[in-house]
Amino acid sequence: MSDRSEADRLKRETLFERLVRRPEIGSFIVMIFIIAALTLASDGRAFNALGTKNNIAIIAQFGIIATGAALLMIAGEFDLSIGSMIGFAGMSMAMMLKWGLPFGLGEATPFSAFIITLAMTLTLGWIIGTIVVRSGLSSFIVTLGFLFFLRGTTEVSFRLINQSTQISGLPDYKETSWFADIMGGEVFGWFYDLWFALGGNINRKGDQWVTGFDARFMWWIILSLLAYYVLSRTQLGNWIYATGDNKDSARANGVPVNKVKIGLFMFTAFCATLFAACQVFDTNTSDAAKGNLKELEAIAIAVVGGTLMTGGFGSAIGVVFGAVTVGLVANAVFFIPWIDGSWFRVFVGTVLLAAVFANERIRKRITGGI
Amino acid sequence: MTQPYMRVEKLVKKFGPFTALNEVDLEVYPGEVHALLGDNGAGKSTLIKILSGVHQQTKGDIYIEGKKQNFRSPREASAAGIGTVYQDLAINQLMSVTRNFFMGREMTTMFGHMKMDEMNQIAHDEMLKIGIDFSDPTQAVGTMSGGQRQTLAIARAIYFGAKVLILDEPTSALGQKQQMEVLKTIKRVRSRGDIAIIFITHNEIHSKLVADRYTFLALGQVIGSGSKAEIESQDIRRLMAGGAEMKDLEQELANL
Ligand SMILES: Nc1ncnc2c1ncn2[C@@H]1O[C@H](COP(=O)(O)OP(=O)(O)OP(=O)(O)O)[C@@H](O)[C@H]1O
Ligand SMILES: [Mg+2]
Repeated sequence: MSDRSEADRLKRETLFERLVRRPEIGSFIVMIFIIAALTLASDGRAFNALGTKNNIAIIAQFGIIATGAALLMIAGEFDLSIGSMIGFAGMSMAMMLKWGLPFGLGEATPFSAFIITLAMTLTLGWIIGTIVVRSGLSSFIVTLGFLFFLRGTTEVSFRLINQSTQISGLPDYKETSWFADIMGGEVFGWFYDLWFALGGNINRKGDQWVTGFDARFMWWIILSLLAYYVLSRTQLGNWIYATGDNKDSARANGVPVNKVKIGLFMFTAFCATLFAACQVFDTNTSDAAKGNLKELEAIAIAVVGGTLMTGGFGSAIGVVFGAVTVGLVANAVFFIPWIDGSWFRVFVGTVLLAAVFANERIRKRITGGI
Repeated sequence: MTQPYMRVEKLVKKFGPFTALNEVDLEVYPGEVHALLGDNGAGKSTLIKILSGVHQQTKGDIYIEGKKQNFRSPREASAAGIGTVYQDLAINQLMSVTRNFFMGREMTTMFGHMKMDEMNQIAHDEMLKIGIDFSDPTQAVGTMSGGQRQTLAIARAIYFGAKVLILDEPTSALGQKQQMEVLKTIKRVRSRGDIAIIFITHNEIHSKLVADRYTFLALGQVIGSGSKAEIESQDIRRLMAGGAEMKDLEQELANL
């Protein structure tokens, strides 16, 4: 009795037990299940050369905005303006490319259009964040305001300057601009070259079928690695967790809570702008309705990935699993012709609810409730 | 007689027309536990909020090692070596022991990269020094007991340079056994010899178990103070009740 110490009461866990207790485990299992189900139901077509590319394209789109949404949620705030920000940023870039830079600065290049747009969206993110921390209002309501404000601004600007709410037929800037190419071009061609060399990836004529992934795949990987590193290994990550867990005690310990929040609102604006840039330079088009509902999908993916609605807890790896899951289901209709596409929303709703319950269990376990 | 690390002279605090503290004197010595006692509303929390820079006094002075120093912010107070552990402890439940220990003061290399292994080691060693052998500093604080959380908050304050450790009712929300753990922790910090502890409590027994010196507050004024030897245990009971005789209180109760 007397030589028992507090430390002995904590059971040493095996590697397997540790893995099972990780917060990402739920989203990982769901992801594996979806991959298996989709492979079977589509006779493997979902993961042939073209299927893989198309799946990755939508997964990366989801992943980019969900990473931003998740970091912000970990810090205890929401951003409902992500979707409208995507529409705004896409409009801004396409319009500059078509009609020239503002204030008579002359012709736009893809790079200058992107930089000026990014300056605007980061400013908007800063304004949103500042309003939230200064007013003490819920970010839900403040960003809901910006959801309407930005979508309306986008449509009005389109009609005033462009007469139509769509821009299409821009030249293919990927041919001439390195910047347009790293945003909208192809990456990891070696993967498909290798696949071809190994005897797959062949089209009907017997040539190489697919030549590379969409560039947003690379951006998603970079963003996810960065988010993982920041959350798990850096001071900023510690501040993000502390801010979302209990901002008063974080502040009492010297964490610059307001700066963290404002910075993360700017980060979601950055993710939305990246999303829009990849889209504009891939398709050479833009449309006032782009990004619609994306903010809700981003939040759903963050939650499916194990992020707590109440803040203070979440992981970048979980968000990756969540994006893969939701992305694959969104695409399933293309590979399983007999399925009704609306099942996508039924599925996302169900998984979302299940995830919220699972996350709540995790939170209770950590805070000693179970 | 050693010099007091901190001395408070004729401290007055008014909230508008209300005098929360009236000419309060206080001396704290390194290696001693100074119990601050008094009824609800006596002004204990107000006093330590001034000492830790949360409030500013209306009149009077604070001296650190003989030098006059008045705090305009909690930051200034902590720079002067005042470490305050409030009742809510300023601890985040979902975060690990290490992340809490270094919250806001992380050890980093370039670009804010945290020295995680070193931080884990320090958190573990510092907690061990005052009594808890925590085998896994990556464990979430939410799973720790109330007493262990107190220890974490105290170890953190000491590691980050507290010379005066202020504990506001550290035992009040805990069960018997954990109260004793906190008292043991206080004793261990005391035996280091270089730290002065201000211990606020409503519990006469707790104060007798660890205190070397007492100050009693009632209605914003000091109604008694002195070393353990100078204050008789009968006195403690009477002074804690704000100067009223126990017999009188018993009589009053009986009359109801
Ligand atoms: N910010 C404030 N404004 C006005 N009055 C205050 C303020 N803070 C404290 N007081 C008053 O000052 C008096 C002393 O309060 P204080 O919190 O210091 O008491 P305490 O000794 O800590 O009591 P307890 O044992 O209940 O914690 C109380 O009457 C309280 O109402
Ligand atoms: Mg009090």
